[in-house]
Amino acid sequence: MRADFWKDGFVLLDGAMGTMLQGIDLPHGTSPELMGLSHPEVLTDIHRAYVEAGSQVVCANTFGCNGRKLAGTGQGVERVIAASIAAARAAGPMAVALDVGPLGELMEPLGSLRFEEAYGLFRQVMEAGAAAGADLIFIETMTDLYETKAALLAAKEATKLPVFVSMSFDPAGRTFTGCTVASMAATLEGLGADAIGFNCSQGPDTLAPLVGQLARHTRLPIIAKPNAGLPHPVDGHYDMDAAAFQKAMADCVEAGATLVGGCCGTTPEYIQGVRALLTTASPARRTYQPVSRVCSPTRCLDLTGVRVIGERINPTGKKRLQQALLDGDLDYVLDLAVQQEDAGADILDVNVGCPGVDEAALLPLVVKKLQAAVSLPLQLDSADPAALEAALRVYNGKPVINSVNGDPASMEAVLPLARRYGAAVVGLCLDEKGLPKTARQRLDIARRILDRALEVGIPREDVWVDCLTLTASAQPDQARETLEAVSGAHHDLGLQTVLGVSNISFGLPQRGVVNRTFLAAALARGLTLPILDPNRSEMMDTVRAFRLLSGEDAQCADYVAHMADQVPAVQSAAPAQTQLGLRQAILRGLRGEAGRLAREALSSRQPLELVEEELIPALDAVGEEYEAGRLYLPQLLSAAQAAQSVFDAVADHLSAAGQAPVRRGEVVVATVRGDIHDIGKNIAKTVMENYGYAITDLGRDVPPETVAQETERRGARLVGLSALMTTTLPAMERTVALLKALPDPPKVFVAGAVVTEDYARSIGADFYAKDAKASAQIAREVLG
Amino acid sequence: MTVDIQEALRYLGVRGQADEDLVRQVRTVAAELEAEVRPRWVYRVMDLVWTDGVPGLGGVALAGEMAARMLGECVRGAVLVCSLGAEFDRRLLAAQARDMARAVVLDACGSAWVEAGCDAAQAELLALAPEMFPTDRFSPGYGDLPLETQGPLCALVDAQRRLGVCVTPSQMLNPVKTVTAVIGLAHRPQPARIRGCAVCAMGETCGLRKRGESCEG
Repeated sequence: MRADFWKDGFVLLDGAMGTMLQGIDLPHGTSPELMGLSHPEVLTDIHRAYVEAGSQVVCANTFGCNGRKLAGTGQGVERVIAASIAAARAAGPMAVALDVGPLGELMEPLGSLRFEEAYGLFRQVMEAGAAAGADLIFIETMTDLYETKAALLAAKEATKLPVFVSMSFDPAGRTFTGCTVASMAATLEGLGADAIGFNCSQGPDTLAPLVGQLARHTRLPIIAKPNAGLPHPVDGHYDMDAAAFQKAMADCVEAGATLVGGCCGTTPEYIQGVRALLTTASPARRTYQPVSRVCSPTRCLDLTGVRVIGERINPTGKKRLQQALLDGDLDYVLDLAVQQEDAGADILDVNVGCPGVDEAALLPLVVKKLQAAVSLPLQLDSADPAALEAALRVYNGKPVINSVNGDPASMEAVLPLARRYGAAVVGLCLDEKGLPKTARQRLDIARRILDRALEVGIPREDVWVDCLTLTASAQPDQARETLEAVSGAHHDLGLQTVLGVSNISFGLPQRGVVNRTFLAAALARGLTLPILDPNRSEMMDTVRAFRLLSGEDAQCADYVAHMADQVPAVQSAAPAQTQLGLRQAILRGLRGEAGRLAREALSSRQPLELVEEELIPALDAVGEEYEAGRLYLPQLLSAAQAAQSVFDAVADHLSAAGQAPVRRGEVVVATVRGDIHDIGKNIAKTVMENYGYAITDLGRDVPPETVAQETERRGARLVGLSALMTTTLPAMERTVALLKALPDPPKVFVAGAVVTEDYARSIGADFYAKDAKASAQIAREVLG
Repeated sequence: MTVDIQEALRYLGVRGQADEDLVRQVRTVAAELEAEVRPRWVYRVMDLVWTDGVPGLGGVALAGEMAARMLGECVRGAVLVCSLGAEFDRRLLAAQARDMARAVVLDACGSAWVEAGCDAAQAELLALAPEMFPTDRFSPGYGDLPLETQGPLCALVDAQRRLGVCVTPSQMLNPVKTVTAVIGLAHRPQPARIRGCAVCAMGETCGLRKRGESCEG
């Protein structure tokens, strides 16, 4: 067997194991995972049937052999895997694959399995498979790109074996978690998979178009291991026979698949059919056009025009963000991200570097927080390689690193990271000697970075160049040099170009005028990735207009649609401005209006006065209406959010004046261990926040010990706990007990669908909150 | 198949007439949901097998008095799992980061939407067995059918592979808007039995009952 036998030409894989086992009369209660130990001869017979049908690679019966699924069986992962690999080996195939399926529990942010835990579970499997002599690793039936990344990283880091990765897509081209074909390709190829593709979930007939799509997005060999059609709901039989399967597989092969086999419902007969097909077919000619891409699981961004990188998540010169990062207030950071996504950013720069912050610890936490609620790809921005690596590990998709520079030390530290984690990388046109004055010198550095990146194994399209903007008022000749360098990097080197735009105008009046003029000039010279504040409409409008003029916005559709949206917003805001007072704006839940009125009012009134005399009475009035059943939860929350915009205005005002924010005391909230439903907790949080309480949200599925430790560490006087299911009530009881055992125990309130007043009392909680409004009342009673 | 607006409003705690703004908001969110997220389902119809007075489907025992009573006259049974999938959860997370008011409306619409999916799935499976009469749908955790039945029922229809549905160690279904249900199939019409506090083990912990309401309508 050649060491890279899969790289060109066909490889015939095997068919289903489960389908074959169903056809055998096994003793009741036989665990399929443990059959390598209990019935190795049965497994060998099945593998042998596939080998005789022509399968070159067989997947050992290790699909569910991980620490989580084997827990409670009394058997260790190593022993079970060794037995299953041996059973496959005994059938005499060309190669035995360690077969690795999903862990059986959803990962964060949708489930509670953490990335690091998943990695650990997979790593144990990979090590066991390598030790047992597997020839390759086949990660399959994956639906979550994040879990797939954990498995692939574990395989690459724990073994030297080739790794095939296949995911399960619906005919529309999405996995259950929304992952796209393009995102799968960009991420897994970057992480070093040796072949990628599809298995399970559909028949070869509907799979063929997806194979074609994948072929346009990857250089790697493509796997197609579909089901024998769909199962009948009553008798469970799959609806495609071996002949029909063979016929439809021809389309998959024609579309580019070279590693072919079957999944659920297929048998050796089906594999024989595919074997016959391969004897007459030849591998499809692939034409892959490299395109610069970054992606999240649900959104793959082709850099085929101008794309905006949002710059707001960077604490340099932003006191409010600095404070939020120091306080661990990640909700504030998320808010900045959401605003930029909604304002039209395509990529978000994420920088958390400021004095007092441990970037290597914080950057991965921020990445996890953002990717839970924002679908944009991220640009990981740090000067600390340890922080970059920590963030690259937990990023779900293909990110871009900001940045490397021409200093050999920087290149040696950063480029291998980009290679290992499959990230694009921004190269700054400076080096250990500083920032060169001329465009030509900057391009020399760009070339040096590009050459080194190519040597390290980073594809050319993943190297982006930042020619650096200098302040025009200090060095007026430099704007020209920057523009010249942008042009050279884009047109001569053929690379993506990045540029922070707003530096140009420091120290000048009417900075916006200079910024947008410079932006337009840079776009015209070949800037493809401006870094700017997407909330500034004049900048975004310049980008939109440029896309129109450059022909990227065909038929001017985006421009026209965007401008059409602008008109009614202005009209509807106008009468409100003249009629509503602040209190009414809150009552009616008008977020933007309430914030605007608050900022106006703060020019003449004290922040505390505004809170006490306008905000709190308005919230109380809404609360009364809610209690009386005249308003419902959405309206209560709308009012709370309008109040939040007033608090934001107050916080900005105080922060600008160098004063401490208005805080009415701190509440720690958490959904207890085992409980993944947290909308109730989030509702309570929204309402309490808008009464001015600082909320520390520990999240969901939080261990009792963590709640106690964090409460003690922060000295919080009030803790709110939520549980939805009867099965998680013991965790709530345990959490309350730990809190009450603290040297200075806080007050505790509990809430949630299964919690009652009596139960709250019985477990030693101080209060029961029947709804969000009640939690705010409790906070007021305890904290004032 | 549509989101039942009245049901979504009920999940939001609305008693009687809701104001127009709220109804409009619910309609808007429901329309988006209908356009962007489809309920998916899998089911399997099996013979009902009684062992020591306990009914079972595909080797999974359906313990407790409720299941025995519900299935008393049945010869077959269907296991149904319906889910809005991770796509809904993703949208709910994104909505919570932007606008909690909209998020709770989305959550309520999601509950109504997955129920609509169950209704559609049930209609589809009954069309495969036109001579049979269904019992009410019932689920683990309701009445005295143990919550722990959740995992084995999901395994019967291969819900993880076919729908992306997982059961957590605390017996929660994930994605959030997922329903597992059993439907008994008999040769003669079955009375509606399931609704109301009398047959339900939720008792004082029921959200509707806490507000002085009942699912009996």
